[in-house]
Amino acid sequence: MAQVKIDNVIKRYGSVQVMHGVNVDIDDGEFVVLVGPSGCGKSTLLRMLAGLEEISDGAISIGDRVVNDVPPKERDIAMVFQSYALYPHKTVYDNIGFPLKMAGRDKSEIDQKVRGAADILDLTKYLKRYPKELSGGQRQRVAMGRAIVRDPQVFLFDEPLSNLDAKLRVTMRVEIKELHQRLGTTIVYVTHDQIEAMTMADKIVVMRDGRVEQIGAPLDLYDNPANVFVAGFIGSPSMNFIHGQIVTDGGVRQFRSDSGLLLPLPQTALPDGHKVTYGIRPEHIAIGNHGVPLRVVVVEPTGSETQVFAKHGGDFVDALVKDRFKAAPNSEVRFVIDPANVHLFDRTTEQRL
Amino acid sequence: MKKNNPIIAIVFWSLVSFLTLFPIYWLFVISVKPAVQLFSTPDVILSDPYWGNYAKVWGDRLLRSYMVNSLVISTGNALLCTTLGFFACYALSRFKMAGKESLFFWTITNRMAPPAVFLLPLFLLMTQVYAVGDFRLLDTRIGMILVYCTFNLPFAIWTLRPTLDGIPKELDEAAYVDGASSWKVITEIVFPLCRPGLAVTLILTWVFAWNEYLLAATLTNFNARTLTTGLSEYVTTTGTEWGIMATISVFTLIPALIVFGLVQKHIVAGLTFGAVKG
Repeated sequence: MAQVKIDNVIKRYGSVQVMHGVNVDIDDGEFVVLVGPSGCGKSTLLRMLAGLEEISDGAISIGDRVVNDVPPKERDIAMVFQSYALYPHKTVYDNIGFPLKMAGRDKSEIDQKVRGAADILDLTKYLKRYPKELSGGQRQRVAMGRAIVRDPQVFLFDEPLSNLDAKLRVTMRVEIKELHQRLGTTIVYVTHDQIEAMTMADKIVVMRDGRVEQIGAPLDLYDNPANVFVAGFIGSPSMNFIHGQIVTDGGVRQFRSDSGLLLPLPQTALPDGHKVTYGIRPEHIAIGNHGVPLRVVVVEPTGSETQVFAKHGGDFVDALVKDRFKAAPNSEVRFVIDPANVHLFDRTTEQRL
Repeated sequence: MKKNNPIIAIVFWSLVSFLTLFPIYWLFVISVKPAVQLFSTPDVILSDPYWGNYAKVWGDRLLRSYMVNSLVISTGNALLCTTLGFFACYALSRFKMAGKESLFFWTITNRMAPPAVFLLPLFLLMTQVYAVGDFRLLDTRIGMILVYCTFNLPFAIWTLRPTLDGIPKELDEAAYVDGASSWKVITEIVFPLCRPGLAVTLILTWVFAWNEYLLAATLTNFNARTLTTGLSEYVTTTGTEWGIMATISVFTLIPALIVFGLVQKHIVAGLTFGAVKG
């Protein structure tokens, strides 16, 4: 186990700068998820941590050692790749034992550790098979076996579940989380799937365009997003954003959207006329008799919950309710919003107010 | 779906096999007939074989040395070209390098010129330029191995490049993270995965050198003379010894057939390498 420190890391490809001074502190044994849309730099950051990409400026430390110029094999890390990167000409046994063979361990030790890892990952009966003879989930477990057999200081996972179907992804998510609880090793995990990030992480790092947007515990990011990007990225379905300004109407302070929709406001010292972006999560909207009137666009029942898309002028609002709900398109629906769940963002800076 | 008639397929492939194998059979028939019979009763039926031609060829020390020369030159050249081609393609596939595609194209253009164009320059190089004391490359096995590299190395690079490019770089990266050195990445991961492509390259470069006549006839006199050039010695002003020539041809065919048989599985895999998702 080890701490990891990413200190003001910059990455340039020629004259193009893709990473702009990234700072992340990862504690011993912590499960940290780097999350963000495609091209945000999360995989590049992980590869720099692994030593597969050079850094242009800044420092990366694993434990007490700055590893900027240390080759991958001397960093005491293990990595699971998106494509698993299993060696196709080696059996499961030889794949898992490969790092130990490279470390020059003797055969009896390799045998003992490979069988131990296979036992943990339920791979014992597949040890003589080749990767092509395994299912996606089994291949994924072999890749993890190859990582855990070395007992490294840090595990790096690069979108390891993205090639699996939805059901298997949930199973593997639980297995990885269990593995972390059992081994207690520091994990840095990259994904673009915010559900994976929310369910697995001790700490989430949200990235965009080579910059860190926010770092925090999953529920902190959900409850207190720093800006519009984080608010929109964390949570599924995504938060509703409505542009407008603060007004006083009939002695009551309210939010009025650009298309005239009036919505309740939380306590705020912002003056009338201040232009804001109003944020409310779909799951924080209820359907009642005395709410904000909108017109139904589409109703999507999923069994356990119902998603209702409605609009007012040019403003679309999406609600997620637990109750079964039926409504014809274009009929009126009233959305009830608790002001305590409303987030206000500055329209220019997009920062939370 | 309409089912193909198996009889048509059997007839078609039998015909193709016949057209391919009959000349070889005919060659063998000629090699087991004495000269008199060859011209008096020219038929293709194998009856009462005469092994005199084989005894004569096998007993001829000169022909035996031609065969050894052919084997040494072909095998040495194939191994050298395949090894150098492998490392060149590894570099082209894995390392960032300015102008590497131009370099690759320039390399394979060397294969496009007709070999006869290079005859005179090669002769001068081997007699005048590459000289150490009394040693000259002309009429030496090493000289012929190097000469064939001029044509076979670009070919090896051309055939091996897709094989190397087809091996995901993530496998190299995984091996580096697993603690492998650059040499171990090559020997443990890349080389074993390249085996089908290497087998194809090895056999094709070997066959090129084994069959080559023009350069061997020009750049060897006695010491490094090969079997193909030896064949022409039986076309003389007093007549052509068809039986002996056919026997030498059979001897020429045998190693090629053995090598093809040994690596046939890899050749099929190599030719379809990367064609389908694994």
